[in-house]
Amino acid sequence: MILELKNIEKSFGEKKVLTGVSFKAEGGKAFGLLGRNGAGKTTSIRILMDVFPANSGEVLIDGQPINYNKIGIGYLPEERGLYPKKIIIDQLTYFAELKGMSHKAAVQSIDYWLGRLGMTEYRNKRLDTLSKGNQQKIQLITALAHDPDIVILDEPFSGLDPVNAMLLKDVVKEQIAKGKIVLFSSHQMSYIEEFCDSIAILNNGVVALHGDLHDIKRDYPRDRLVVRTETPDAIKADFGSSCTVMENGDLMIRLGSPSEKKTTMTRLVENYDIDEVKVFEPSLNDIFVEYAGDVAQED
Amino acid sequence: MKQFGKILKFELKNYAKNKAFVGVTIFLMVVIAIVMFFPRITALFESDDTSNTTADLSVMLVKADDPTQADMVKETFAASFTDYDVQITDEEISVIKNKITSGDVECAFVMNGATSFTYYVNNLSMYDMNPDIATSVLQQIYQMNAMIGGGMSQEDAAGVMSIQIDAEVESLGKDQMQNFFYTYIMIFALYMVILLYGQMVAMSVATEKSSRAMELLITSAKPINMMFGKVLAACMAGLVQLVAIFGSALVFYNVNKSYWGDNGIIDSIFNIPPELFVYMLVFFLLGFLIYAFLYGAISSTVSKLEDINTAVQPVTFLFIIGFMVVMFSMSSGSVDNILMQICSYIPFTSPMAMFTRIAMSTVPWYEIAISIGILVASTFGIGILSAKIYRVGVLMYGTSPKIGNIIKAVWKA
Repeated sequence: MILELKNIEKSFGEKKVLTGVSFKAEGGKAFGLLGRNGAGKTTSIRILMDVFPANSGEVLIDGQPINYNKIGIGYLPEERGLYPKKIIIDQLTYFAELKGMSHKAAVQSIDYWLGRLGMTEYRNKRLDTLSKGNQQKIQLITALAHDPDIVILDEPFSGLDPVNAMLLKDVVKEQIAKGKIVLFSSHQMSYIEEFCDSIAILNNGVVALHGDLHDIKRDYPRDRLVVRTETPDAIKADFGSSCTVMENGDLMIRLGSPSEKKTTMTRLVENYDIDEVKVFEPSLNDIFVEYAGDVAQED
Repeated sequence: MKQFGKILKFELKNYAKNKAFVGVTIFLMVVIAIVMFFPRITALFESDDTSNTTADLSVMLVKADDPTQADMVKETFAASFTDYDVQITDEEISVIKNKITSGDVECAFVMNGATSFTYYVNNLSMYDMNPDIATSVLQQIYQMNAMIGGGMSQEDAAGVMSIQIDAEVESLGKDQMQNFFYTYIMIFALYMVILLYGQMVAMSVATEKSSRAMELLITSAKPINMMFGKVLAACMAGLVQLVAIFGSALVFYNVNKSYWGDNGIIDSIFNIPPELFVYMLVFFLLGFLIYAFLYGAISSTVSKLEDINTAVQPVTFLFIIGFMVVMFSMSSGSVDNILMQICSYIPFTSPMAMFTRIAMSTVPWYEIAISIGILVASTFGIGILSAKIYRVGVLMYGTSPKIGNIIKAVWKA
């Protein structure tokens, strides 16, 4: 199954929020939708979920306009919130039923998920008696209980402790393995990097970068080497201004051109005590700052 | 439709589980029961009290300079004021005043002549009819004396004085007096229920928005289902409450019917003509819905719970103005005045205005049909519009948006 947003345009009043936004997400893979605050991520998600229509453009599933009666969508909004004063099982059942489940199936599925997330003991408690992290797990159930085809998770890891983060990771991997489209939106690049095969970076309502994460990284000019060594000073003296020290203490050597890679590597290994040498690949964080960061000046 | 059913059920359950809602309903039912049992309870006490009633009569003093007049006045007053122990006195006025202020004596009549008196009482009650009774008694005495003095026999004079006039009134339209009370009750019930439930709908929407449950709801359910589900649930809860209260009133009244005697007011309340009852239901439902939609839509644009009251104020004012117009017209007796006629066609006031006119006056059927037609169409229109405002409004956070911006956003959405 392939989800595709095609040339989405959206304005609120005079303000243009999305301009020609297009991206593709595939079933069985996770997709990362990145962008700074106000870049248009939530608006894109809301259009995808038919909360409001786009001014123009299409939302397609396998090339056909999406049929919201057939395609189930699960959503974990960034702004968390359920009914604080209501019993957990009651409100979870309500939300699952709103998505079209029968009462019986809803209760069954919710009981499964409560067990899966270790929340069964809170089943008949009021939501506001739970800790923030546990409330978040309850909210996650609203996104998964009706077994949706598309799972949209907006900042799913914020507020979770490492153990719960691990639990969520397992759940997400499970959903991906089931062939679902998992759409991530997050500022925590490490998680995106861990899960997502492809990404789209939104900047000011425009898709600044879109594609397979590996390809994006490979397409970066391979003209820098990362060197880990016990004798950095000697290498620094040798390479002069083309050698800089990175934050973690490793050295970065800028090459004149990518073709110098082999000769430079040989030179390093033969002359110095080298622990590791490799071509520098930018992290998602670096890519994000490069493509989404320029807005900072405009703000 | 399935989704609408789920929402309706969920919202209704909220009312059933709402302790304040259930508590108020039961409390009102108990109050109604007490009121309806009241005559029976008082009858119970009265039967015990019959033995010592005479001793407890409060004292009314009569002072007249002419002793024959004093005797005559005492005799006639004793006959007219059966609730008092009428006594003649020749004490000074200051002494009489002291007795009244100290509470020994209830009141006193000091005769200044055959056609003049001063009435002394401590606190003059709003309903104190004593001077009026005294006036008419003294008038009769004077007239009797004049007739006898003019040569009439005492019997003839008494016959003239006690002549009975047979009067019969036949109303070809409505009897305003008879219809006044249940019209009043219906208008008042509508007023209470709309303000109360309007607020409840507003609170429910704003709570969902401020707790951010809205983020999930809006992506799970169609706004039109949300809006209609909420408002209809409130409407049904309101009806259940009214049926519980008025139903218990009816039941308890029938249980105690013999004790109420021939109370025309109470009787008229429980004997609403069926066709009027249907009109009442129609106007009640439509009036309720139109305002509940407005309250729901407006509260969806509010970000903080404490801003609701300010936001819904214009609607509340609109409603109160309509209520005032109807109430003043009702008590003035001219329910067909031009203002009422205009209000009968404005959807926000017609539930009260048109119903009052139907109940207390004669309105041609086509006017009723037009009024209901306008009301039905605008209720649906406002329902759909409110769902649109809701969809736009619930996603607006921060300061309350201006009306113009909302209309613009709704127009474009």
